[in-house]
Amino acid sequence: MEIIRTKSLVKDYNLGKVKVRALDGIDLTIEAGEFVAIMGPSGSGKSTLMHIIGCLDRPSSGEYHLDGDAVSELPKSALAGIRNNKIGFVFQSFNLLPHLSILKNVELPLMYAGVSSRARKRKAEEILAEVGLSDRLRHKPNELSGGQRQRVAIARAIVNSPSILLADEPTGNLDTQAGGDILEIFNDLHQKGNTVIMVTHDPVVAARADRIIRIRDGMIDYGDLAG
Amino acid sequence: MAISLAESLQMGVADIATRKVRSAVTVLGIVLGVMCIMVVLAILAGMNQSTMEWMTERGGLSKVEIGFNWQYDFRQGGEAKFSLSELRTLKSLIPEAKAFNPSISAWDAKTRYRDQYYNSQCIGVYPDMQIVENWYPEKGRFINEIDIRENSNVIVIGSKVAEHFFGTRDPLGQSIMLNDQMLRVIGVMEEKYWENPGGGGMWGKNALDYMNHRNFIPLSTMVNKVSPGSKIDQVEIIAHSPEDALALQKKLGPIVLQLKDGKKVFRVSSAQEDMVQMQKNAKMFSAVFIMIAAISLLVGGIVIMNIMLASIKERTREIGVRLAIGARRLDIFMQFMVQTVLITALGGVFGIILGYAILDLVSGYLEMAMVANIRMIFTALLVSVGIGMIFGIAPAIKAGNLDPVVALREE
Repeated sequence: MEIIRTKSLVKDYNLGKVKVRALDGIDLTIEAGEFVAIMGPSGSGKSTLMHIIGCLDRPSSGEYHLDGDAVSELPKSALAGIRNNKIGFVFQSFNLLPHLSILKNVELPLMYAGVSSRARKRKAEEILAEVGLSDRLRHKPNELSGGQRQRVAIARAIVNSPSILLADEPTGNLDTQAGGDILEIFNDLHQKGNTVIMVTHDPVVAARADRIIRIRDGMIDYGDLAG
Repeated sequence: MAISLAESLQMGVADIATRKVRSAVTVLGIVLGVMCIMVVLAILAGMNQSTMEWMTERGGLSKVEIGFNWQYDFRQGGEAKFSLSELRTLKSLIPEAKAFNPSISAWDAKTRYRDQYYNSQCIGVYPDMQIVENWYPEKGRFINEIDIRENSNVIVIGSKVAEHFFGTRDPLGQSIMLNDQMLRVIGVMEEKYWENPGGGGMWGKNALDYMNHRNFIPLSTMVNKVSPGSKIDQVEIIAHSPEDALALQKKLGPIVLQLKDGKKVFRVSSAQEDMVQMQKNAKMFSAVFIMIAAISLLVGGIVIMNIMLASIKERTREIGVRLAIGARRLDIFMQFMVQTVLITALGGVFGIILGYAILDLVSGYLEMAMVANIRMIFTALLVSVGIGMIFGIAPAIKAGNLDPVVALREE
């Protein structure tokens, strides 16, 4: 079953008078349960693709179907709901809220989903146990190591059981050891049937994926063929 | 579906708790503004209350007075004086009056009982004095129409006078000398007492104690026997209602003018008119202070708006993260709206507490009545919440409109 399908995806940016084409007709299909890496040099448009796949942004033209929904047809206001229940984000710089405890950070997506406070606490504790942080629930993010922080971020990303897990350079700020642990977690999630999409520079990291999609100048290089 | 208000409130409290100092600084203007409103409203209410009490005690708002016109230039002739027959005419022309009491004071009159002298004010009056002042004898009787007609040698004495001359003995039937007239005591007035709300200072606790030193004799006796040639220059009239008093005041003006051959030697005033004037002054006073409070609240509001805008700028990335994990624009809008309103409401509460503390301190010091009530607290709270809503909108809209991609890129 395909979970992501894009057709002639185009994204233009207006930078003053200059119009920049960041994506130039991306046709892409990702099956449910795949572990995919998106690679490309900086400025290739991979971040833009990532934003559109993650419903943070809308394409200028073209189609995007996510888990059966024609997302490209939806207004911006409807995208928040899609982000909330279908997408889990993991960022390079973790992006945890510094004033909130680990537990509260992981509870956030559930709060925006309208889950009761008791239920979301239980669920967040459960997920944090899965990533091995049960003993850190009341800690603030800055009391943890980088690897631990990224594990919290992963917990936050999967707490809502999303359709896809989107990771943007998830190991970029980590040492080899911690990075390896994080990739191990992604691998586990993939083994359990989750769809994982990872953007990276690092060919070693990308090699952990089932398939590599290469982006260059806003177009797919040969990833689809190589898959 | 957005997150609940309770959720937003909880988030707002947590946000404020993490940024205590900033929140305190943010809200300083509101605290001061609310405090100012509280104090001014309480002072005004206090002033109003004591004025009303005083007025009521002194004959109420139905009183009309004819008195010496200080603005009249007496070189143009005329004399501020009523004869007894003029008074009879005047009285017959205003049958709608409830009470009519001309009076004349003999300040130089010394009362004597046997060989004791006592300096007390003696006033020649009509029987209606009782209605005008709402003051009646405690013992014996007051002066009546027969006493007026007959120029009777009778006197009604004040409680302090009775105490001075007679101690515990019965004053009724005793004789008192006033100038060269021997007068029979026919009554003793009840004691007048009105506690000054500020404690009274130099006048003692009882603001009306001076009245207890007064004696009353028939007006005719005063003019014809005790103090011949003295001038009756004051008439107090009570109407049936404050509105009637205003009508009576209007009617009396021309009558008095005609009686005195067109010379404006007398002025006709009413308590109602004075009251209206006083209320007008109070309103002016309060308007000025409310303006000052409003300006300080406005400035406070602008400060809040700016600090919230700065705070949102600083928290752009956080907002981006929240948007990425599923917050709707309305959620973000509400988060900051609720936070601003919470801060200003909190400021309002502190302002009220501070206002109370100041009232407590100042009212003791100024010996002034100040009245704070629930309505003021409610007003102050409402105003501070309103300020939060008005000045919180722009920052909240700005936060809610952030683009997630741009917000996430913010360092």
